Amino acid sequence: MNEDDQSPQLTEDEKKLFEDLMPEDLAEIIDAGVNRRHFLKLMTLTGGGMLAWQSAVAEQVLTRPLAPTPPVTFNPETIENGVNVALKINGAPQKVTVDSRMTLLDTLREKLDLTGSKKGCDHGQCGACTVILDGRRVLSCLTLAASCEGKSVKTIEGIAQGNQLHPVQTAFIKYDGFQCGFCTPGQICSAVALLDEAKNGDASYVTEDLRKKSGPAMLSKEEIRERMSGNICRCGAYPNIVAAIQEVHSGKAVEQNWLLV
Amino acid sequence: MKDKNTNVGSPVSRIDGILKVTGKADYSTDHPVKDPAYAVIFKSTIAAGKIRNIDSVAAEKSPGVLAVITHKNAPKLNTKGGIRGGAMLQSADVLFFGQHIGVVVAETFEQARHAADLVKVEYDQKEAKIDFEKLHRNGVKPKDKEDEKRGDVKVALENAAFKVEETYATPIYHHHPLEPHATIAEWQGENLILYNSAQIVNGAQNAAASTLNLKPENVRIVSPYIGGGFGSKGGQWGNLVLAAVAAKMVKRPVKLALARQQMFNSVGLRQRNYQKVSLAATKDGKLTALVHETATHAAIQDEFVEPCGDCSKIMYDTPNSLITYRVTPMNLILPTYTRGPGKSTGSFALESAMDELAYKIKMDPIEFRLKNEPEKDPSNGKPWSSRKVVECLKEGAKAFGWEKRKMEPMQNVQGNYWVGYGVACGTYPAHQRDSSAIIKLNREGSNVTAIIELAAADLGTGTYTILAQTAADALDLPINKITVRIGDSDLPPAAGSVGSVGATSYANVVNDACMKITDELIARSGKQFFARPTAAQLMVSEKIANIQTRADSKPMESAEQYSSHSFNANFAEVWVNQSTGMVRVKRFLAVTGAGKILNPKTARSQIFGGNVWGIGMALTEESVVDPRFGHFVTRSFADYHVPSNLDIGEMEAIFIKEDDKLANKLGIKGLGEVGIVGVSAAVANAVFNATGKRIRELPILPDKLL
Amino acid sequence: MRPFKYTNAKDVPSALKLAAGNPNARFLAGGTNLLDLMKEDVERPDELIDITRLGLTQIKATGSGGISIGGLGRNTDAANHPLVRQHYPLLSQAILAGASGQIRNMATNGGNLLQRTRCPYFYDVAMPCNKREPGSGCGAMEGINRMHAIFGWSEKCIAVFPSDMAVALAALDAVVKITNASGEERVVDFADFHRLPGDMPEKDTNLSHGDLITSIEIPKNNLADHSYYLKVRDRASYAFALVSVAAAFEMKGNLISKVRIAMGGVAHKPWRAMKAEQMLIGKEPTEANFKLAANAEMADAKPLEHNKFKVELGSRSIVRALQMALNGGKS
Ligand SMILES: Cc1cc2nc3c(=O)[nH]c(=O)nc-3n(C[C@H](O)[C@H](O)[C@H](O)COP(=O)(O)OP(=O)(O)OC[C@H]3O[C@@H](n4cnc5c(N)ncnc54)[C@H](O)[C@@H]3O)c2cc1C
Ligand code: FES
Ligand code: FES
Repeated sequence: MNEDDQSPQLTEDEKKLFEDLMPEDLAEIIDAGVNRRHFLKLMTLTGGGMLAWQSAVAEQVLTRPLAPTPPVTFNPETIENGVNVALKINGAPQKVTVDSRMTLLDTLREKLDLTGSKKGCDHGQCGACTVILDGRRVLSCLTLAASCEGKSVKTIEGIAQGNQLHPVQTAFIKYDGFQCGFCTPGQICSAVALLDEAKNGDASYVTEDLRKKSGPAMLSKEEIRERMSGNICRCGAYPNIVAAIQEVHSGKAVEQNWLLV
Repeated sequence: MKDKNTNVGSPVSRIDGILKVTGKADYSTDHPVKDPAYAVIFKSTIAAGKIRNIDSVAAEKSPGVLAVITHKNAPKLNTKGGIRGGAMLQSADVLFFGQHIGVVVAETFEQARHAADLVKVEYDQKEAKIDFEKLHRNGVKPKDKEDEKRGDVKVALENAAFKVEETYATPIYHHHPLEPHATIAEWQGENLILYNSAQIVNGAQNAAASTLNLKPENVRIVSPYIGGGFGSKGGQWGNLVLAAVAAKMVKRPVKLALARQQMFNSVGLRQRNYQKVSLAATKDGKLTALVHETATHAAIQDEFVEPCGDCSKIMYDTPNSLITYRVTPMNLILPTYTRGPGKSTGSFALESAMDELAYKIKMDPIEFRLKNEPEKDPSNGKPWSSRKVVECLKEGAKAFGWEKRKMEPMQNVQGNYWVGYGVACGTYPAHQRDSSAIIKLNREGSNVTAIIELAAADLGTGTYTILAQTAADALDLPINKITVRIGDSDLPPAAGSVGSVGATSYANVVNDACMKITDELIARSGKQFFARPTAAQLMVSEKIANIQTRADSKPMESAEQYSSHSFNANFAEVWVNQSTGMVRVKRFLAVTGAGKILNPKTARSQIFGGNVWGIGMALTEESVVDPRFGHFVTRSFADYHVPSNLDIGEMEAIFIKEDDKLANKLGIKGLGEVGIVGVSAAVANAVFNATGKRIRELPILPDKLL
Repeated sequence: MRPFKYTNAKDVPSALKLAAGNPNARFLAGGTNLLDLMKEDVERPDELIDITRLGLTQIKATGSGGISIGGLGRNTDAANHPLVRQHYPLLSQAILAGASGQIRNMATNGGNLLQRTRCPYFYDVAMPCNKREPGSGCGAMEGINRMHAIFGWSEKCIAVFPSDMAVALAALDAVVKITNASGEERVVDFADFHRLPGDMPEKDTNLSHGDLITSIEIPKNNLADHSYYLKVRDRASYAFALVSVAAAFEMKGNLISKVRIAMGGVAHKPWRAMKAEQMLIGKEPTEANFKLAANAEMADAKPLEHNKFKVELGSRSIVRALQMALNGGKS
């Protein structure tokens, strides 16, 4: 598929590392032809422990970039009312020229190859496109890329810290906070930002006493539910999403019952 | 990592989890392609008639536009090729509002969407059949559904000590998977690659090929991750082939994603049903008659009727029974399978009626159900392969605290809320379908790894994970040595992830493949073993570097002699705001007997998902048609309310241990659908218990409880 | 979405000038309503003037003891500001009842007041709608009108105004500060800000082209001890109101000395329940008195085919909101 797909020429050291981490995939990678650049990205993407566990589909990880690839030079005729935008995406400075109509979501997905953010409705009605803009969760489908000059965007691709998954990501896996996974990037961006909102003591519609501007808010399940209601999960993973966020927020494991009688 | 052979049955976290939480799982339009063009569909704005003229001059001249495709220039397609719902630009006829009537292809999405707005269409309009309220009385017998009759229901109803005769209505529901239907079509010479979510990978391949007049081997479906389907991605719809047509015309890969608003009338729906249920019982609560008569609608050109009477055929023991269907063709998109087809809506009617009758008899609704538990399948006399309804009800009652329920409504008041408890049962058939799989074993030194390949689907159901678990145990390898490849029509053909046959069919064929490869290794060794060695051991002891084999599995013939179904009992506690009528489901418990539970973590999620859907059916979801125009007034995700996080309260799932080797070798019965069945009735019954108001028309919106 | 020119306004004068120069230009604030409608081809500007870098985001106490909220501040910040939470919890609550966390982070206070109706006939360009296309007829009048108005509608339009925030502002006697295209400032009472549809449903408000909302001011009051925003909707969260009520009152002894009630989801503008207010002045805050007042207010309602329930629901909601307010917002 990818032009630069080719058999990896692994150095001995890389081969050793790879064998240690996921020996079972070595042969496959050699004959399936995953490229070396992607391979290296995998190394930075995943913590060793998770990797072995998730190896069955690790091939997928290999084929997608972590940071935006340099924007393709577009035929200028395909851009109407072009706007030059300089912004930061997942920490890296980016310059793009966009059609003034282009949303941040479409820019990420179609221009920068960051397809983690999803389009569930394109009208602000589902939350699948949630990203963190200058520290706050927003909907990238209702944000014009043109308006992002000088701003800093964090997408699902940038939530993990280098090798380390964000605790919310780990908790989503642990509590099975998803099924199809399509809402998940938005849920996770939303949850990560929500934790900060709670730290700021922000209120919600179900907050008992609004007038008591408190310090960091300890969120009940009901609070988490209300604050996550802007992220629709059609698969209905809500109870597990709430459990995952609750664990990260409270620092305490939440009971998961496997009841077989 | 795990002890030997204990992967199956353990709460293993999803092996595709890391991809999903890092945004790396590729759904349809996430696949990287070079230089794609973007297609946007435009739709009819009348419900019946003919297109007189399409003026696409402005659109064609609009910057970046590469093609405008309408019935005038679209290639001839085979409309009987298996694509559902028509709407493939093959004629000027308009059969429903929102029918695809053209496609704009442009350099960018923004340009395509804008150009689509510039197209002007003139119609010769005909009177449309839209108003179900008026039309349903003229329904006719569906083509494939005869009336099913046992005994004499009329006499039984006349002589009943107690009876209920009520009509239950459910609205049009939409699947609305969070990933809208979307395709990347890429031609490579004669070969066509379609990145497209498909619950039935081979079905999508065949339908696309046949419709496009291609050979199946020239069409490849790539669908490793599916953003939900719920039936709407079982059959494929016009948008799939229109993407291929567009790609051919502009000689470039084309991305075609439906807008959320277009999903309402592009990819099927769950039809509106009026279900009349008549129950008769003796003084002491023995059912003597059960009648379930469904009136529904289908499309003008095609028929699909969801089997609302299915639960009623098998749930309860009654000497007299009648199940009928009447269908009215209407100018709306063709209905299709929607999670728990027939059973989720049918159980709302049946289980509400059971609750009504129990209340009339003044009998606890659990006791009433236990009293009418059938020993054999009442519809065909076959023995059950397994049926755990009694256990579901009893265990559920215990776990839920059913004894706290008040028999009379409006007795449990908490502050400004009425609190009520409800129960309802559900069922869904368990089947295995033909599937094939290839297994490859590789060894380097003492390190043995396995690759499993089949054209299966994982739409959030956990297929990747349960197959890795199954193979790990069958081969005696740690689970991290297993790679699962699915979602590609180049892989061996497999059943679809539809009708709850996925897990059963896939796990059985993977298990068979593992057994087969072990047999082949034993044969190859030429040795006799006292105890059967594992494949991993043989790879090492016989120094085999790699080996592969393919298994083709079919359902056991003996399974035909039994009636196999999953069963459940659902328990709901609702709080109804006395002032506003807003309902919250504070607690929900589903107790399920569904054969072997391969992975309690993903199984629990499947059940929760079904429960959330059922709560949506009961409380929030409804599509409303304006009978003058035939369009959905509830036309966006802001108008059609799928449940939000706050709509869902505490949930718990209990599984009854079941080892049903009569159904299939591994004793799996499937979970995808049964989780929704009975849910809306449990909620509605709880609302009655809370408020004394019996709501027979879903959803239970605030205004119905004022 | 039609092509448009995107301009980033640097300061208020240049924003005003840009707007004055192009009758088809629009201000872009949070974009949560404007972009939605542009994608639907309902709004068709050929220029967007981005006003999010103009400042005008401050929230501060006014000299007269009230509060001033910047027109370009975000809804989240307004809802969470300590002054607002402490003295105008009704406003916080109303804002937090709307939309979602993400949308409130984007939506501006000025934009919120100017959001357009959610009437599905307005949103669907295939349907007739006098508000979108004057003279094309009202699709909802003879159509599906469960969500529509019961007060103040006209033969031309039965749409309702969807904002929650505005309902609280109506109850709190807010004023809107506006700078017009020529740089002149004016202050509009909240009651005069939004319009009833009458013969010109295409006009939602009394603003003219190029008018910029710079701030919203709420006078000092003593309503914070007894206030509540109640929102009734078809799902628990992330849904527009069927009916909402902002209720607040002040007590002297055991009698109500001042009361404010406004309703959402019932009219083309936030509906001040003046009749109910008048009936409650000097009365004890009892359920019976609340009911009398609520019923008196709703007696004037003119429901349509599918929204008759809003009369009863409106009445109950007024009573419930007043009860909640009596208990300091706790049930
Ligand atoms: C899915 C969804 C659900 C929602 N649910 C709710 C809800 O439950 N309750 C609720 O109240 N709202 C709800 N909203 C609406 C939301 O609150 C509004 O869209 C938002 O407040 C608009 O503010 P904005 O800054 O984004 O406005 P924009 O979209 O940027 O602008 C709206 C209009 O105001 C004009 N404008 C903006 N600022 C100014 C200014 N300072 N001076 C002059 N003109 C200006 C613009 O030109 C434009 O015409 C919802 C929105 C969505 C998408
Ligand atoms: S895609 Fe942005 S909210 Fe749905
Ligand atoms: S996991 Fe499928 S939509 Fe949330």
